[in-house]
Parts: sequence; structure tokens; C-alpha cells
Amino acid sequence: MEAAAVLHEVTRELSGVRVLDGASLSLASGRIHALVGAGGSGKTLLLKTLCTLLPPDSGEVRLFGETVRFDDPGQLRAIRARIGVQFQNLALFDFLPVRDNVAFPLEADASGLSRDEVDRRVRDILDSVRLPEALDLEIQALSGGMQRRVAVARAAVSDADLLLFDDPSGGLDPVTTSRIFALIEGIHARRQCTVVIASHDIDRLVRVCSEFHVVDAGRVIFSGSLDAGRRHPDPRVRTFLEGADART
Amino acid sequence: MRGPEKKSGPRPSGETPSSRRRTARFAGSAFGLALRPVGRGVLAACGIMGGMTLLQVRILRAMVPPTFDYDETLRQMHKVGVLSLPVVVMTSLFVGALMLVQTGNFVRDTGATAMVGWATGIAVLSEVGPVLIGLMFSGRVGANNTAELGTMIVTEQVDALRLLGIDPVRHLVVPRFVSMCLMLVLLTCIGDLFALFGASIASQAIVGIDMRVFWQGLLDGHLADEFVMGLVKGFFFGGAISIVSCHFGLRVRGGAEGVGRAVNDSVVTAAIAIFVVNFLVTMLWV
Repeated sequence: MEAAAVLHEVTRELSGVRVLDGASLSLASGRIHALVGAGGSGKTLLLKTLCTLLPPDSGEVRLFGETVRFDDPGQLRAIRARIGVQFQNLALFDFLPVRDNVAFPLEADASGLSRDEVDRRVRDILDSVRLPEALDLEIQALSGGMQRRVAVARAAVSDADLLLFDDPSGGLDPVTTSRIFALIEGIHARRQCTVVIASHDIDRLVRVCSEFHVVDAGRVIFSGSLDAGRRHPDPRVRTFLEGADART
Repeated sequence: MRGPEKKSGPRPSGETPSSRRRTARFAGSAFGLALRPVGRGVLAACGIMGGMTLLQVRILRAMVPPTFDYDETLRQMHKVGVLSLPVVVMTSLFVGALMLVQTGNFVRDTGATAMVGWATGIAVLSEVGPVLIGLMFSGRVGANNTAELGTMIVTEQVDALRLLGIDPVRHLVVPRFVSMCLMLVLLTCIGDLFALFGASIASQAIVGIDMRVFWQGLLDGHLADEFVMGLVKGFFFGGAISIVSCHFGLRVRGGAEGVGRAVNDSVVTAAIAIFVVNFLVTMLWV
């Protein structure tokens, strides 16, 4: 199957620390991928590299069949228009109300959607995350969980080919967490886009993801199915995957 | 077969093993160790200057042709200009009064009361007014600006903008630069008027010189040149404060502690920049 994204031997130093240390990763197109690993292992940085916000010091990043040239603003703009991201810190614009936050990707990429169409999409996605009443609220008026749901909605509102979710259920109650994962699953089923979820919620990941990637110390030490991960000789891989309650 | 002969002697940089040894000995000596913080400070200062220069170039590039965000510029003008008005008015009233008390006592003692308007005017319009308003503006607007941009960095809002194809300099920095330059000129103008008003009241109420004498002395002084120089200073102070505050805001690393450090660095650097710009404009003007 064609890969939507490939990282090859990617390294990156931040403040003198090698945070990505020859990470290689291939994301099969049209699948839901789980990115798991201990806190500080490099999951967020891998996601930032995948969405072209963190240029590597060395190595290659290929997205949608193209090698990313980080010094080519035109190519970066075209690639970024095909990616939706829910950031770990949510990255909601606190100077805009919920509606404008969610509509931002639709209005920013000059896709030519009419105002009515933008409004319809925003209402639909906010319904999906159970926040229809929050449309006109300011971001500061929302609880942490509600803000996270708005961030998920903003990442998913456009027709992105690659959706990256960084801890989408962090700090959420179990019911809302289930809804968020169901929403992601629903979007994937409808659009057949490639989805990457970085999370510590392994039980939920097992229910929606078909591919698992285990990150440790800035490297991807395992990529494959849950079963293969559970039989993996490396105990670091098994630690993350074998306790999970599989659906199948 | 012999390969190419290795050349001995100095490297292209002029560094030889013996010179490297000498450098290492010097770095390890007490004098070398004492110089290290100085070197680090010089490098950090060069980094800040270089960063601010690059930011200025990017701002100018984004303004030609002027394709920046007009709505955001108007919002910033209201925020940095209109909302700063009360603090500028209060500062100016007391600065004007203070300048008059300082000069008033002197001219009263010497009997040259007709000079009080001119002396206060020249000090307020050309130096004290623009500089103090600039410092107040830097403390209120510059610090707020650094904190706001720093928080946007920490919460990944700037990353989100970049991902959505929006240039943070064009969308965030240019509106702030334009609004601070224009609004500080306007605030300097309004501040000058209130400072002179405060001075005239102090003249009458505190020093005992009729306020008509004050205004007559001011008008006879022909201080239009000083007034314009003050406005030009306001313009450049606005530019300096915006570049300094945006530079430190956009290079925040870490969480709340990083934002706090950036605000501190921004306020100190902006204050230094105001005095440097003040000196340069005065030197070029007179």
C-alpha cells in the first residue's frame, strides 16, 4: 500500500539535546495509526515533523509522495493544506470565538467555500463533538475538556488527507473520550484519510487503530500490528502493547 | 604509488596545532575564565541584535506591497493607542507640572519669569515628553505584547497559524509594528498637550507665575521644531518597542517561566533602545 507519509532516518537537536535520533516511520495511506511511547519519547516532535513544522537536521521527510523541501514555501503551503492537526496544547486562538476558531482552516486555505457552507460544516463538526451550544462562546469561557473538543473539531473540519491528533483525550472524561475516538473513526470511515493518534490511552487506541508505532528516545522502535507488537522480542514494545484490551 | 602529499603547516583558517594549544591554555587560565561571561554576553547581545535586524527586514518585506492584515492592525491600534490614553494623559500632566516646578523656581529666583514657558516647553516637547511617554508605552504595551506573543508560542497558536499557511510576521508582527509607530506619534502629540497643560496649571498654582506668562513664553519660543522632533522620536520609539517586544515574544522557549523571562528582557531592552534612539535622533536633528 502506498505510504501517505514517510520519515527516513530523521534527526533533530533542540537546545543541544538530540530529541529525534534517526527516527524512521512509514504511514500506510488510509489507515488509522497509533503513536505510543512514554512521555518525552518524541511523539509530539514526530507529529510536528510530519506536519512540516519541525524541519529535521538530517534525514528525509516524504509526504503524499513528495520529498518535503523545507526551504520551499510554495511546496510547504501546498502540503500543509492537506494536513489537519490537533496540537497537544490545543493552539486555539483565544482572540476568536469558537465558531471562528473552527472555521479558521476553511477560511485560511481560500478553498472558495461559501459562508453558508462554512457555517454548515462548523455546525456539523461541533454537533459531532457535542458542542453545538458553544458556537458563539469565547475560548476562555470553555472548560479544558470543551477546549480539547473544539481543537479536535478544528483539526477535522477541513478535507485533510492526513489528520494528526496529539493526545486527543487528554484530561477528558471517559464518555467524551469515547465520543472523540468515535468521531475520529467516523471521519476516517467517511473520508478514508490517513489518521495518526498519539495517546497514552492504549485501550481506546486498540479499538480504532490498525497500525501501531512505538517511540522510544527519539526513535521508532516498532511499527506493525498489535499482535506483532505483543510478540515482539523487545520488552519496551511489549510493555506498551501487551496490556491492552483488544477488540478482536 | 604515492598518494598526494599531505601538506603540513597552517590550516586555511590560519590555525596550527601550536596556536590551538595556546588558545586552550589561555581559555583555561584565570584571565580566560574571567573573560568567559563577557564573551557569552557579547555573543548573546549579537544574537539579539541579529534577530531584531532580521525581524525588521521581514517586516519591511511584508509591507512592500502592503498586504498585511488591516482588521488586525485596527484592532491593535485601538488596543495600543486608545487604551493607553489614560496612562499617557496622567503621566504627561505630572511630567509637565514637574518640569515647570524644576525650571520655575530657578527662573523666579533669577527674575526671568518670561523664560518659564520656553524652558519648560523645550524640555517637554523635545526630550522628557517623548522619552517618558515612550517608557510608559514600553512598560504597558511592549510588555503586554511580548507576553501575548510568548503565550501564543507556548500554546502552539503560532504553529497553528503556520500550518494554516499564515505567515506569523505578516499576521501578528506587522500590524503591531504599524500600530505602535502611528499610535506613539499620536500619543506623543496628545501627551505634549497635556504636559503643557499640567505645566501651566503648576505655573499658576504652585510656582506663582501667571499661566498667561507661561503660554506667552511658550509661543514666543517658536518651538515647532522641537515639537516635530518629539513626534519623530515617538515614531522611532514605536518602531523600536514593537521590534524588541515582538522579537522577544516570538523567541520564547519553555512555559510560563520562559514568558516571564522574555517580558523582563523585552522591557529592559526596549528601555535601552529608547535611550539609544533618542540620542541618535537628537544627534541627527540638531
